[in-house]
Amino acid sequence: MDWGKVKFFLGEVLRNFTRNAGMQATAIGTVAITIILLGAFLFVRATLAGLGSDILNQIEISVYFTNDATTAQEDALRSTLAHDPRVATVQFVPRKEGLAELRARTNGVIDTSLLTENPLPDKMRVRVHDPASVPNVAAKIRKMKGIGNVVYPQTVVERLLQLGGVLRRIGLVVIAVFLLVAGIIISNTIRLTVFARRREISIMQLVGATHMYIRAPFICEGLLDGLAGSLIAVAVLAGARYMLWPKLLLALPWVQLNASVVNGPVLVGQLLLVGGFIGVIASWISVGRHLRT
Amino acid sequence: MISIRSVSLIYPNGVRALDNVSLEIGKGDFVFLVGHSGTGKSSLLRLLYKETVPTSGEITVDGIRVDRLKRGRIPALRRHLGVVFQDFKLLAEKTVWENVAFAMQVTGAHSKEIMREVPRALDLVGLSHKSRMFPGELSGGEQQRTAIARALVNHPKLLLCDEPTGNLDPSNTTEIMELLLRINLKGTTVVVATHNQAVVDRMRRRVVRLEDGKIVTDEERGYYYLGLGQGQVLSG
Repeated sequence: MDWGKVKFFLGEVLRNFTRNAGMQATAIGTVAITIILLGAFLFVRATLAGLGSDILNQIEISVYFTNDATTAQEDALRSTLAHDPRVATVQFVPRKEGLAELRARTNGVIDTSLLTENPLPDKMRVRVHDPASVPNVAAKIRKMKGIGNVVYPQTVVERLLQLGGVLRRIGLVVIAVFLLVAGIIISNTIRLTVFARRREISIMQLVGATHMYIRAPFICEGLLDGLAGSLIAVAVLAGARYMLWPKLLLALPWVQLNASVVNGPVLVGQLLLVGGFIGVIASWISVGRHLRT
Repeated sequence: MISIRSVSLIYPNGVRALDNVSLEIGKGDFVFLVGHSGTGKSSLLRLLYKETVPTSGEITVDGIRVDRLKRGRIPALRRHLGVVFQDFKLLAEKTVWENVAFAMQVTGAHSKEIMREVPRALDLVGLSHKSRMFPGELSGGEQQRTAIARALVNHPKLLLCDEPTGNLDPSNTTEIMELLLRINLKGTTVVVATHNQAVVDRMRRRVVRLEDGKIVTDEERGYYYLGLGQGQVLSG
């Protein structure tokens, strides 16, 4: 290891970094805001994804047979569903059990002792693996014989699937725009340092420094901007996670948000990576532009 | 050392800087390129270290076909030659020592090598005692000597000087020229573009004269003005 070389290189990077303090702060701040948004988005998306899939996974198709449905017809449906790979579970509820369930659920509000006969048909509860296949499976069941009614929370399924998609797309666009803005600001910051050092760069080129060598300090400067910004963002996000999140949960008791689905260290790693990456790319581009001319 | 064959250089704005120039310079030569400003002296030098690319023709420097050299190989070419300018091109915030060391540091030299070579180069140009001073504290001649030390620190075989005495008074000019001569005596090929008549006439070296982008004369032990050595006198 040649410590003289290392010292010279670090000196160059530090000098660049401290030369334009104001611009540097702007770049770091923009990265921080971008990464905070990105982190919050990823965090909320992970918790919401858990929430949405919980609701969707609880969705079941209720199949009511007609009163004159034969046992053969009921068995036919059961075996058809058993062979359908989309179907997870099938539960047969005979009309007697149905009445008992109804009694239990209504808890005496409706006085079922007044009933002279059981008005309920036989019923089958069907659950599928993928919530998106609910409408298709329901349609298939409707075509079978002896089926009276097929019921599932249609609008809930469709809306949830749709909403999830739309939210994800909007989020991604916002993040992409912010990443771009952060990149441009870092790129401009580096251009200022490149401009301030154009004399040195021209001398470097004159005495035969390679492009890679000339680039290196600027790339490091961009990397520092990116990493500093994402470190600030991570600190802010961590603070929010431990101070604001419990309050949010208290304020929205009916929303089941589960923060434990988020893998903290992995998320922090991803955010630092993204920040550093923008810094490197942005500075690479702006130095490259200078060296080409 | 240098071979230029049928080189023309036309700038994008249509100006013809060099027009079918051919020139051979041998190893260890000392050559003056003379002519008025704008006759193509600087353009010719810039072609040699590939700051400019010729429109047509072949350029070979120390066995390297410069005109065909890929961009990525330019740094390697420039480590083989030193360049000195009229405006010195020193870094004001670095000391004399640091300015010279800079040329080695940015080409990835080992610090042990730097500790060995920088004092040697400073000793050659006679600035060892001012190595801790900044360019702003030096005379013009001393600044140019610093620039020459920087150009020589990587042991180039060729030293290109573009109006090296253009900003200097006569006594500093003499000092620099004597230094260049000493460097040449050690075996380095030296090419000096200048329009300083006194220097050229005193040194009596090979003189290549450019006019409107063309070589008009090429004399061994020549004078600044054509044929002055043969006893002709030019008026004006």
